[in-house]
Amino acid sequence: MSLLREAERCIANQYVQNLNSFITPLPRTGSWKARVQEADQRADQGPLTWIDGRLISVKDNICTRDLPTTCGSGILDKFNSPFNATVVEQLEAAGAIIAGKTNLDEFGMGSHSVYSRFGPVKNVRNGAEGDLSAGGSSGGSAVAVAADQCYAALGTDTGGSVRLPAAYTGTVGFKPSYGLISRWGVVAYANSLDTVGILGLKTSTVRDVFTLLNHYDPHDPTSISRSSRARLSQVTSPSPLQCRPLRIGVPLEYNISELEPSVRKAWLLSLAHLQKQGHAIHPVSLPATKHALSAYYVLAPAEASSNLAKYDGVRYGTRGDHADSDKSLDAPLYSQTRGSGFGAEVKRRILLGTFSLSADAMDNYFIQAQRVRRLVQQDFNSVFGAGHPLAHENEKSSERPASGVDVLVCPTAPSPPPLLSDLTGLSANRSPLDAYVNDVFTVPASLAGLPAISVPVAVTNTGGKKSGLAGIQVVGQYGYDELVMQVGELLEGQRFADDS
Amino acid sequence: MHLVHHTDADQPYAHQYPPARINSSIRSLQSATPSTTSADRVPLRKILKQEAKSLKAQKRQRKENEEASRQQWELTVGVEIHAQLDTAAKLFSRAPTSSSDVPNTNVALFDLAFPGSQPEFQAATLLPALRAAIALNCQIQPVSRFDRKHYFYQDQPAGYQITQYYEPFARNGYVDLFDYDGIAPEDGEKIRIDIKQVQLEQDTAKSQEYPPSTQLLDFNRVSHPLIEIITMPQIHTPATAAACVRKLQSILQACGAVTTGMELGGLRADVNVSIRRRGEAPGQCEYDGISGLGQRTEIKNLSSFKAVEDAIVAEKNRQIAVLQSGGVVEGETRGWTIGSTETRLLRGKEGAVDYRYMPDPDIPPLRIGADLIASLQENLPTSPDSLVLQLIGPAYGLSIEDAKPLIELDDGARLEYYQDVVDILREIHSSPEKSSRDTLARVAGNWVLHELGGLLTKADRAWDATVVPARSLAELIDHLQRKLITGPTAKQVLAGIFDGDSRPVAVILEEDNLLLRPLSRGEYLALAEAAIAQNPKMVEQIRSKKQMGKLGWFVGQMMRTGEKGRVEAPKAEEILRELIFQ
Repeated sequence: MSLLREAERCIANQYVQNLNSFITPLPRTGSWKARVQEADQRADQGPLTWIDGRLISVKDNICTRDLPTTCGSGILDKFNSPFNATVVEQLEAAGAIIAGKTNLDEFGMGSHSVYSRFGPVKNVRNGAEGDLSAGGSSGGSAVAVAADQCYAALGTDTGGSVRLPAAYTGTVGFKPSYGLISRWGVVAYANSLDTVGILGLKTSTVRDVFTLLNHYDPHDPTSISRSSRARLSQVTSPSPLQCRPLRIGVPLEYNISELEPSVRKAWLLSLAHLQKQGHAIHPVSLPATKHALSAYYVLAPAEASSNLAKYDGVRYGTRGDHADSDKSLDAPLYSQTRGSGFGAEVKRRILLGTFSLSADAMDNYFIQAQRVRRLVQQDFNSVFGAGHPLAHENEKSSERPASGVDVLVCPTAPSPPPLLSDLTGLSANRSPLDAYVNDVFTVPASLAGLPAISVPVAVTNTGGKKSGLAGIQVVGQYGYDELVMQVGELLEGQRFADDS
Repeated sequence: MHLVHHTDADQPYAHQYPPARINSSIRSLQSATPSTTSADRVPLRKILKQEAKSLKAQKRQRKENEEASRQQWELTVGVEIHAQLDTAAKLFSRAPTSSSDVPNTNVALFDLAFPGSQPEFQAATLLPALRAAIALNCQIQPVSRFDRKHYFYQDQPAGYQITQYYEPFARNGYVDLFDYDGIAPEDGEKIRIDIKQVQLEQDTAKSQEYPPSTQLLDFNRVSHPLIEIITMPQIHTPATAAACVRKLQSILQACGAVTTGMELGGLRADVNVSIRRRGEAPGQCEYDGISGLGQRTEIKNLSSFKAVEDAIVAEKNRQIAVLQSGGVVEGETRGWTIGSTETRLLRGKEGAVDYRYMPDPDIPPLRIGADLIASLQENLPTSPDSLVLQLIGPAYGLSIEDAKPLIELDDGARLEYYQDVVDILREIHSSPEKSSRDTLARVAGNWVLHELGGLLTKADRAWDATVVPARSLAELIDHLQRKLITGPTAKQVLAGIFDGDSRPVAVILEEDNLLLRPLSRGEYLALAEAAIAQNPKMVEQIRSKKQMGKLGWFVGQMMRTGEKGRVEAPKAEEILRELIFQ
């Protein structure tokens, strides 16, 4: 099929399916058409890249000059960025077409893509009882991929925002090691955790996109330098998978009581599958895991409260209706603007972060959470066979654990996607905190800056009739992004028969 | 008897009032201010004299009050200076720093806090910051970090200022203040003020209020690199605090760290002020490791040295009044308006801002190598203190009163000009008299500061080294020293050049016939006798009462009547003395 036909089909899907995955879909006609046709002509002689002429959608917290960048927020609902994010420049230079801006939880804060000024995203997979959560916060990107509205999509992952929607929609979601993909032009939620992530139907697609984006960017002060990249590739290649059977770690702390039986089954069958291929399964302990979620929900809101202070409606963004009604110069210019521009979840996290950074709470919350973050990192370092390639010489423990594992394999989320009606409905027994628990398996890798991928596996019961879909997560040592994707590929799309 | 005598003495005054003044005299009497009643009828000259006298008395009284309060209360002051660094780019973007450009033209995405933009630390901004820290004898930290200080204000686009709160780049310095720096007499010849830390941070936007409802913002200034210098609370007099700020400014200027001084807004000072009663139990507060202090208040945004001194005096007296009336000093932020006599409340304790300092997650730690520090140390310009020593030493022989302004005026440009003049003078001056050669530098100091300075002041012009080229002034002084022209001629020629006469000095003197043709003794005698004949009474006073000051009148007469530019005052006086006393 020609690239043009593929593109036209995707765009048609953007308009017919009522999934609310896009805030700004691609116009049916436009300059993209000519560019895809050019790519079609190149295709025979040799395309620019693997994504030449392909449609790639971009989460709406990544700046684009040609399309609005709303972050799903009322305060930026008409905002046009004056510049392209580096990742957008990279995609376009590779011949890709930006396939529109996908819906998200406002500024990336949420786990179900329901906290958007533009309405909730609907999962393509519908349950018997109604619409399911697409996961969040990159729910729009995941659904766009799952619903064939684009070839691949960019999301952002701060605590699981790419992996969780991948797990809920049956797509592949990859969060690279922190600092590999440029964040210039990615609207900050929590800078020290934010990464650009990639969603696709297959890991190979994700890899193609990742390879194009995995470059040093002088605009991003947290971008890993060229010399460090050289060191990384020296340390991490050749891939251990090409040399020997892998040692697969199973973090015991992840077997929580809240784990749904279907998810636990998918996990066990995945491990059995890997074992059958000759890899060794090793139980490991990550004791700080049980504090990781709390630490994340202190640190991320703290950074968010700081990052979102800039939205005052003075220089850009939408001003509140009555922002100017108080003529007194002493009155704050922005309180009305912020009050009406931000949604409830964003306000909750700003307040949370403002509190945990306040003088009296700082030591008990922010500092304490940073200590937990360090413990989480140490936990990972102590179970991986490879040391952290960028750790300072004296931080590297001289002796690596003999039983060190190559990757960890665990579920992405503790349960299948919940019903949207349960999330948005006014059921009194649901607290906003209930949503936070969905991030319990994804947050540790974010805190440690490690590469992690979520791949879909299916479990069919004996009759082979009813199949349950679950996301399985592979986490590797820092810089072992390729190994993580390779192990993901071993599991991706597997259909396991439930013999029990 | 006494009473009657008083009445008699006062009556005549009342009778002397002309009818039209009666009303005002009644008013005066009602308000019971006899000084104004008498002032009403005395000549203006006398009024002015009296006013000056009463002002002096007030000053003396204030001084006595200050001294009395000093005996009773100990004042403690710490100073924070914010200085704009002399850098081409902003702290975290490549946008230029020039603030004189069209508003809102020198701004990068990050300066306006655009979503998705990130900081790009400009390493070059470190150089002036390091020069300042080295000149202030600080320990440069090998690793320092940037933090966010949060507060909402429209001149702060990100909602936070990036500063160095937890780990500043320089610590533990000091500044030495000497008597010639203008410290209080009780601080003796020298006092050392420790510097707690120096930190790098961003400036804010400039805002202009147009009440009632317009406020204009110019973001050109946003993120201009600043250093904040924090002294320990070790200053105990207002004068020394002002001297400290002045000294810090001159050090920053001398080492090339800053562009402009306080007068142009390139430097702003905050002071914290506390008092405690001497001889009583120490205060409960501790600041920067110094304990036993009283509750302090902070006065923000002082923009002149005088404001620093006046605001501290006012705040100290306010705190004393509070304590003496049984009140408690609150930890509040106060402001100062130039010309006022009281500090005013800006923010009470309950309104204190919690800045929620957080390490900036985007900006990597700042690592400063020892090699960079060493090379900067080597190339640091001479410090103001060494300059003072040089200028008052045998090489120049200036008075301290002339040396200080030379160093401080016009960001060092005046000093540079002065040194040029002296260098040229030494090259061209060939007087055989040693005394003439030795005084060259001192005479040049006088001409650069007072004669040329006077012309600038009168014309209300800013310093410009090209108005009177250094060579012209040097040649003029050379002629004067060699007694080829008189002092008045030299002044006249200087004024001419200042007003645009671009002919070489030698040509001016030649063409305008200004070179001194000395008068003969006979001509001097004739002039002197003519002057004496005009006022024999005064001659008698000089002779009998030894009122030598009156000689000057006769000298002046001789200069006026004699041919212009030819009468030399010392010779005229010599002849006069001869005639009057022999």
